[in-house]
This record gives sequence, structure tokens and C-alpha cells, in this order.
Amino acid sequence: MCLAAVPGHSAAPITDATLKPAQIALGESTELTISTLGTGMESIALPLVPGLEFRIIEQSRRMEFVHGASLATTTTVVRITPYLAGTFIIPGLAPKSQPLVLRVSPAGEAVNPKGSVLLGKGAAGAGGSANDIKMTEDGSAYLRLTLPKREVYVGESVPIAIELGARAGSVASLNGLPALTGSDFTLNNLPRQPDRTEKIIDGSPFVLLTWHTVLTAVKPGTFPLAVETPLTVKVSTRPKGEAQLEDQLGDPFLQRLFGATVRKDIKVASPTYDLTVQSLPVDGRPVNFGGAVGAFDIVSDLSPAASVAGDPLTLRMRVRGSGNFDRVDSTMLEHLDEWKTYPPKSSFAPSDALGYKGEKTFEQPIIASKAGPQTLPGLTFSYFDPATRRYETARSAPLEVMISPSPGEGAGMATGALASAGASPQSHLRVGLRPDHDVAGSGETSLVPLYFQAQFLALPAMLSLAFAGGWLVQRRGTSRPHHDDSVGARRMPKAAKRVLAQLKAAERSGNAGLFLNSARAALVQHRKDRELTAASEVSAEDIDAWYGSDAEDIRRLFALADEANYSDRQLAGVDFARWMRIVGRQLSRGPSR
Amino acid sequence: MIRRTHLRESIMVAALLGISVPAAAAPPEPAYSAAGLYNLANSYAIAGKPGMAVLYYERARLLAPNDPDIEANLRYVQASSRLAPESSSWIERVGAVGSPNELSWAGVIGWSIMGISMVAGRRYSGYRWTRRIAFILGSALIGLTVSSGLLLWPRLHQAVIVKDAAPVLVSPVPMADTLFVLPEASTVETTAEHEGFVLVQTASGQTGWVSRANLVRVVPQK
Repeated sequence: MCLAAVPGHSAAPITDATLKPAQIALGESTELTISTLGTGMESIALPLVPGLEFRIIEQSRRMEFVHGASLATTTTVVRITPYLAGTFIIPGLAPKSQPLVLRVSPAGEAVNPKGSVLLGKGAAGAGGSANDIKMTEDGSAYLRLTLPKREVYVGESVPIAIELGARAGSVASLNGLPALTGSDFTLNNLPRQPDRTEKIIDGSPFVLLTWHTVLTAVKPGTFPLAVETPLTVKVSTRPKGEAQLEDQLGDPFLQRLFGATVRKDIKVASPTYDLTVQSLPVDGRPVNFGGAVGAFDIVSDLSPAASVAGDPLTLRMRVRGSGNFDRVDSTMLEHLDEWKTYPPKSSFAPSDALGYKGEKTFEQPIIASKAGPQTLPGLTFSYFDPATRRYETARSAPLEVMISPSPGEGAGMATGALASAGASPQSHLRVGLRPDHDVAGSGETSLVPLYFQAQFLALPAMLSLAFAGGWLVQRRGTSRPHHDDSVGARRMPKAAKRVLAQLKAAERSGNAGLFLNSARAALVQHRKDRELTAASEVSAEDIDAWYGSDAEDIRRLFALADEANYSDRQLAGVDFARWMRIVGRQLSRGPSR
Repeated sequence: MIRRTHLRESIMVAALLGISVPAAAAPPEPAYSAAGLYNLANSYAIAGKPGMAVLYYERARLLAPNDPDIEANLRYVQASSRLAPESSSWIERVGAVGSPNELSWAGVIGWSIMGISMVAGRRYSGYRWTRRIAFILGSALIGLTVSSGLLLWPRLHQAVIVKDAAPVLVSPVPMADTLFVLPEASTVETTAEHEGFVLVQTASGQTGWVSRANLVRVVPQK
């Protein structure tokens, strides 16, 4: 319905006229602001538009000095209240100005500040409208919940709006954020700074605070849904009639000026809606379904597009769409022949403030173990689509990648790498390098030095054993030159010790005769044991034959022994030690043949 | 004209010229010669692969530590890659009087001289000064070999970064955070290995994990 208007008569020159908001719902009011030259309001003739009521609610005057001359302007605020829905044309009030257009939507549709319809009774959803507003008892505020639908699935994220309307000048403070009254649903964290707009409701200015968030159902069933928030309101202590007068003043300043109020803490609650939560169907549930509910699609890519065996690549899967992204998860590629896979990590980039829409990226490091052209299979992602009421599986295309051989560990494997390097043979290094060498000989089989190779170390080890053996043989030869097993030879060390002990005792007593005779007897007995001879006399020839280089000393010993029997000859301490050493050597070594 | 007799060098040249080489012609076992490795390193350097060039210069230096051309070209490539060349101390120069393999045989000879002199000294009392001189000579040869081994031991565990800007990670997993980035041709010391990653230590003491695909050990592991 489009209604034409009759232009009003205007005596005073109108400089400007604005209509804000230009779209309202039936039952709401809008304001027409008119600026005129001069100081009188009696000259303004309000337009006549069938279905609209015009009422002046505010007038202000202002004096300006332009180039030394005074200029008076008057601003008049006119409240326009429609009686019926439709599009109204208010003729241009200012000269040569365009007519103003006011669109009034039917009752039951809520209108947001930008003019678009949020939700209404006639819509599929279950939100409140201007008529659904449930004011507090004192009419100071209301809380409204806007839902897109009344049937949801477990785990499904539903974007909602919570609107708090506070009558201008009536609400002293907001004491907390809106919260659900029950525990059957969960709310995402509410933004601390809600959207703030102003609106005329039933002729009264309201401040609207709107929180946009996401509601999630946690269990199946039908549950009441409502929100509430604590407020401190100012309650007028004047009679109702005077209060209405204050309301007519419209301006909060004037209301504060003329009103007497007390503060009161209240909780404002929204109307309760019944929301049905359905379980996700069991039939047809994919194996890799992780609980994602919404509408998604996926794409995948691999970077770099070509790589070297053993070099990590990054496989990315991007899940785009709307829904509960906190349940969007994927293991991507778990087991793949000739590839080593690692667990992916994810990151989410929302495209709206709610985190309801956006893109979740999974990055999985993978390493090819084999060179050559490789094909990575397409990735899949399963989710439940509430719109189609069934499970869907998004798929990405297979990816092709060329894997080059890794740089060789040995010299022989360098050829392939050089071949690829040959693509850029020009190098500035050519100039400063010294020339190549002549290559001759067969070369080494290993870069490890010989002294670190076990096979080579066997050589000095064998040499060591040989030298040690030779040294031991030499040592044994000098200490035990004769290897006979005669009883006398085996007893010789004990007999020598015994004789030496006797000689030591004789030395301590200072008895040279006893010492020398004992030494001679021991040497003779030792000789008898060795030669198995019964001869008691020892001739000088025998001594020469038996003792070799020591024969001279032995003859001297025997002579001293004979002399000691007939004289009182004494020996010095060094003589005792010398003869002891000689006798001990002979007894331990045995005679030289 | 430089005479190229090494089969591998022929294959390399053929590869550079784009000529396909039959697989049967490839040598079954790697054989290393200082000259061959040096020439290969030169080819890599000319081809614009400083990482592989430094790798093969290092390998050539293992076999011929006194070759001035290897040393010069290695320093030149490192300088061209804006890397600080390694400075060798006088101890390293003394320890590199011969190739490691030559010093290996020198050690064996020294060991033999020392052992013979000791056994002979036990057996014979004469030629005392001769035996002493032989013992000192043998000890000197053994000391030279041991010094060479001690100096060479760290180089046996070195690796060269063969990829440009190889990331050094905090842990041996691909998604780990990057500590710093190593330029191509950097020489690092390897200390451990885990799941395709090698724990490296730079000359400045920084440590981290590098993907095995980004480096090649100077001495190949069997």
C-alpha cells in the first residue's frame, strides 16, 4: 500500500528535514527533524499524510553570527506514528527537496536499526517482535531473544541475538551480561561490547543493546529457552499522571530534572520459547564423522608442489562453511604407503564475529620416502547437514606431486643432483676457482681414515700381541733359562731362601766364619743336587766349569771360608751384602753350563 | 688438458651435458679419490650448488689435507656464500703433515719400531743408543698418528647444509618451532639423530634439529 501525502503549508523557510529511522514496524514511531530560519514555530505547517500522526515533541532555538549578522535557526522534532502498515510519502518540506519516504512493516516484524527485518511471527523462526516485547512491570526495559528456528540438532550451533531495550533515562546500570535461565543449552561467550542503537517504541525512546552469539543444544528433547539479565532501574516516585507527563517531555534531561526516582535492582527476562532438540540420526553415520553439524565444503593443496625424498611437505585441508567449527576435526592421512605422516594441526579463521562462519585449516606434515611421481588420495570430511537432515561427505581432489631423489650420501649418488643442478650451469664462481686435478688411481673405498677402521686396527693389535709375547719370552728366558722339571730345580727357590735366611742370621751375629762356610756348603750342596753327584770335594776346575763368569768370586768365597776356619777374620757390612748377592744369584740361577 | 679417467667424472659430465648414461655403467661401489672429489666439488660450485661443493671439498680434504687447491677453493666458495671460513691452528697443520691413511701406516711403522726396540733391549744389552733412538722415533710416529686422529675425529661427525635456508627446529618433529635458519654450505657438527632429524651444533654453539634431507654428512654413514 502506498499512500500519497498532501504537502503542508510552510510559512517559515525550511532549510532541512530528515526522517530517522525511515523504516519502522507498525506500533513504533519515527522522528522527523525540521530545521527552519527564524525563531517561531507557529509558522510551521505539519504535512498531512493519511495513516500518519504528526506530533511536535521538541523544539530548540539557536543564534549564529555570520559576517556580523545574527542568524536564528529553529530545530523542531516531530514524532510520526503510523496507524497502518505501508509506504508513506511525506512531501518535501524544504524548497526543491525530495519527498521523504517512510516504510512501515506490518505488526509482528521486528526492524533492526538498518531497516532489515530480523524476525517476526510470520517468519519461519521464533523470534520476538515489537508486539512480543515483554516489558518489566515498571516499563523501563525488556529483553528479547531472536532465534532463526525452533528445531535444532544436538551439537548444532545456532546464531541468536539477545536484545535488551532500556527506556531512555530509566535504566541506571547494567549489572551483568544476559544469561540462559536453564542448563539445556550453552551459549558462546557474549561480547562485552554489544551493538548499541536507539529506537522509539510506543512513542518512548529506548536504547537497544544487542548481543549476537551462538547457541548450542547439548541434549535431545524439548526445552524452554529464555534469557535474563540483571539491571538497576530508576523507579519514579510521582503519581502515574505526572509520570506520563515526564514521558511526554521525551528528553531524558528534562525527565531527570522534573522526575523524582529511586533505584531498584531487577532482573529482566525474555519470553520463554520452546526449542526442540533432535538427536543426530544413527543410520548412515560415516565412520569419520566427528560431530560437525552445519554446511561445509573442503579443498586441499600441497606445498611445495615438488620436493625431495625425505623432505617434509605440508598437506593442507581447508574446511569452509558455517556450523559448529569447534567440532570440525580431521586426522587427514593416517597411513599411506611410501609416506610418513604426522598428526595435523589446525587453525580457525572466522569470517564473522560469532565464529559461526569461517574457514578451518588443517596442516599435516608428510614426508615422501620414495622418489618419483606420487599421488596423494583425495581427502574427505563428513558432517551432518541440518538443512538436508542427513550426513554429507565433502571430498577433495587427489593431488599429484613429483618427488626427486635426495642428495646422495656417497659420491656415486651425486650424479643425479648434478644433473638437476646443470639447469643453471653459469656461475660467477667459475672465475675464482682453481682448476681441476688429474684423476689417477683407483681411489679409496672409504673416507674414514684407516686408523678408525676396525680392520686396519687389527694390524697394530696383532703387532702388540707379538711384541708382548716376545717380551714375555725374553723375560722368562732371563728369569728361568732352564726349563727342566727336575725335583732339585723346583726345590731350588725354597732351598735358596732357606740358605739366604741362614746367611742373614750369620750376618746379623757378625760371624764371618759361619757365614762363609754356610755359603760354601750351600753352593756345594746346590751343585750336588743339580749334577746328582756324590763328590764332596770341589776342585778349582769344577768351579771354573760350573760358575763361568762368577767362578773367580766363587773361588774367592771358598778361599775365605777356608781362611775363616783358621783365623778370626771379620767381614765388613758391604762384604756381607756382596757375598749374599752373589750366593743368592747362584742359588736362584743355577750354574752355567 | 685435464685428463679425466674416472668413470664417475665421465658420468657427471654426461649428466651436465644432458646425455643419458646407461644404468649399467654406474659404478657399483663408491670409490673416493681426493682429485675426483675435488673436481666434483668444483663442478658443484660452478653449477651454483655451494652446499654440495663445500661437502665434496670437505671430503676431498679428508683424503688430502695438505692440498692447497682444495683449501683455497673451499675458502672461496665459503666466502662467496658469505660464510666465515674455518681457521686452522698450527696444531691442525702439524697434524695434517700427511694424509690420514699415510699417518695410519706411519703409526703402524712407529709401533713396530718401538716394539722391536723394547724386545731387543730385553734380549740384548748392546746398541743402547740405537735402541733409544729407535724408541723415540717410534714414539714420535705414534704421536703423530694419534694427533691426527684426535684432530680428525670432530670432522668425521660434521655435516654440510645442502639446502638454502634450512630451518633449525627446537625438536625433531616437522611442526616444531624454528629456532634459527642455517644458510646453505654451513658446516655443522652432528651429535644425535632421531626420526629423520639430526641434532646439530653450529660453530657458534647453537644447537637444534635439522631435517636429514637438508644436510649431508661429510663421512657417509653405512
